[in-house]
Amino acid sequence: MQGNLFALIPVILFLVFSLGVAVYVRMRASRGAKGFVSEYFIGSRSMGGFVLAMTTIATYGSVSSFVGGPGQAWLVGWGWVYMATVQVTALFLLFGIMGKKMALVSRKIGAVTVIDVIRARYRSDAVANISAVIIVLFFIAMMVAQFVGGAKLFEAVTGYSYVVGLALFGIVVIIYTTVGGFRGVAITDAICGIAMIVGIVVLAAGILSAGGGFENIMQNIASSNPEMMEPFGGGQMPLGLYITQWLLVGVLTFCLPQSVVRCMGFKDEKSLKNAMVTGTIIIGIMMICVTALGVLAKGVLPGELADYGASVDNIIPQAIISTLPTWLAGIAIIGPIAASISTVSSLLISSSSSIIKDVYLHYHTKRGNDAGDAKIARLTQAFTLFVGALVFVLSIVPPDVIWKINMFAFGGLETGFCWVLVCGLYSKRAHAWGALASMTGGVVVYCAMMAIGFKPFGLHQIVAGISIAFVLMLVGSWLGNRHDEKQGKVAESDEVFFPA
Amino acid sequence: MTYREKLKQADREARAAIIGLVVTIVVWALLGFGVAQTGIVVFSTPLWVITGCIGTFVCAIVVAIVMAKVVMKDVGFDEDLVSEGEEAKDAR
Repeated sequence: MQGNLFALIPVILFLVFSLGVAVYVRMRASRGAKGFVSEYFIGSRSMGGFVLAMTTIATYGSVSSFVGGPGQAWLVGWGWVYMATVQVTALFLLFGIMGKKMALVSRKIGAVTVIDVIRARYRSDAVANISAVIIVLFFIAMMVAQFVGGAKLFEAVTGYSYVVGLALFGIVVIIYTTVGGFRGVAITDAICGIAMIVGIVVLAAGILSAGGGFENIMQNIASSNPEMMEPFGGGQMPLGLYITQWLLVGVLTFCLPQSVVRCMGFKDEKSLKNAMVTGTIIIGIMMICVTALGVLAKGVLPGELADYGASVDNIIPQAIISTLPTWLAGIAIIGPIAASISTVSSLLISSSSSIIKDVYLHYHTKRGNDAGDAKIARLTQAFTLFVGALVFVLSIVPPDVIWKINMFAFGGLETGFCWVLVCGLYSKRAHAWGALASMTGGVVVYCAMMAIGFKPFGLHQIVAGISIAFVLMLVGSWLGNRHDEKQGKVAESDEVFFPA
Repeated sequence: MTYREKLKQADREARAAIIGLVVTIVVWALLGFGVAQTGIVVFSTPLWVITGCIGTFVCAIVVAIVMAKVVMKDVGFDEDLVSEGEEAKDAR
């Protein structure tokens, strides 16, 4: 297929700009930095409100929000948009439940990762190490999904091959994450968030004008597919699906480690308050609009699913190609590509911190081998590069369904971390045994159910996973506390988490 | 404010967020499924789509504003800062 250079230019400009900014902020910050680990993994706790809001949204909003979600909305109708609206709760839950607690606790113990906090709370290296493994495995799956989604869209819209697309933005994001650290990631996330909004606006203009205006499109859908105007989508959108989506992409997202770590990186309380309001406004506009565009695309792509390659993932690329001139199409795809790379960058830096900071450095510090800052810096950046390269290679031969992998990983991380974090931060009784049981048991059961396709009561496996994880937390903690009491261990007072 | 009181404030904020969530869920259900019962259509759009999506969105913004302006109290972070990047256990 012949590639179209005009569609490529805006993407290249955007990538070069992001790379430049990431390198610049990191260079500037490293001059006055207090220590490599704190600067590289948490940006020396310097995020202001706007960057905090944007980095959280850009990390959370992925290529699936731009491709899979609107594609489903094209198929199901307004019910899918109504469901996607649950995402407006994500930021006030995250900042409300985790914001101040994580800010206080992480400063008290000098934590720079979520696992630092988990380790300190449960006083258990086993809990910390298993957390690291779960994080890295699910993050790698999600990063592959992001790369694949972005590159497929790139191929469909620009005409250049999948591998060219992957190489282009894959290499850029790996480099700027490796060099820029958390600070570089946060600032490029903010740029990506703005690019996502621009992409939505451009595509909206294309679809609305090609479809003859909003009301015209709505009337056409109402006459051709009246079921798309009903909340239950003529049976395509059952209540059970609403409930599980509420859990998966709404209520439980506050315990995703890649979101929680952002609550340790902001500067002050003003930043937190600003981010809560600004973030809620921006995430609402973004998620509601982008999903609604899927429904409106029905006005320009009125055929059956089989007409568009039998996959809902093709709908948005098709809508971009058929409604926009080439150079505008190049701007429209910056949105989903930004969504893809901003998620990858955050997951990459967190994966790297989980292994280097939480496993490797901890192991050596415990044995009294203090590595120098320069050595840690080299090692960390080499490892970030390595994980990035691994994900890149895995993405060259892509797995099939993008948004399902992403949802699968969301569910796995929520099952693994929800009770470990919530009970750990808010209940004295939560015990390392409970955390271990909840984390491993929940994730194993969730993955097993996913693998065999077993859905209790027809509900997504997250419902069973999160329930089992809760029961295991209770039982494990009860047994653990009883064991401690029998051993005559008096529960030590915990100055950090539950001061007397 | 002691560190203990600061944590108590964080607990209050977490509880408020949960209340905000419950309110948003109720509003979402009433303005979506509830309004859908009426069958009203405006601008060729079913009213439940507008109220269920935009209405819920506005509700979430109100929750966020109430959280930021009323519930959240400045407690001061910096005096609890230990030297950055140290191992968690060393700080205990």
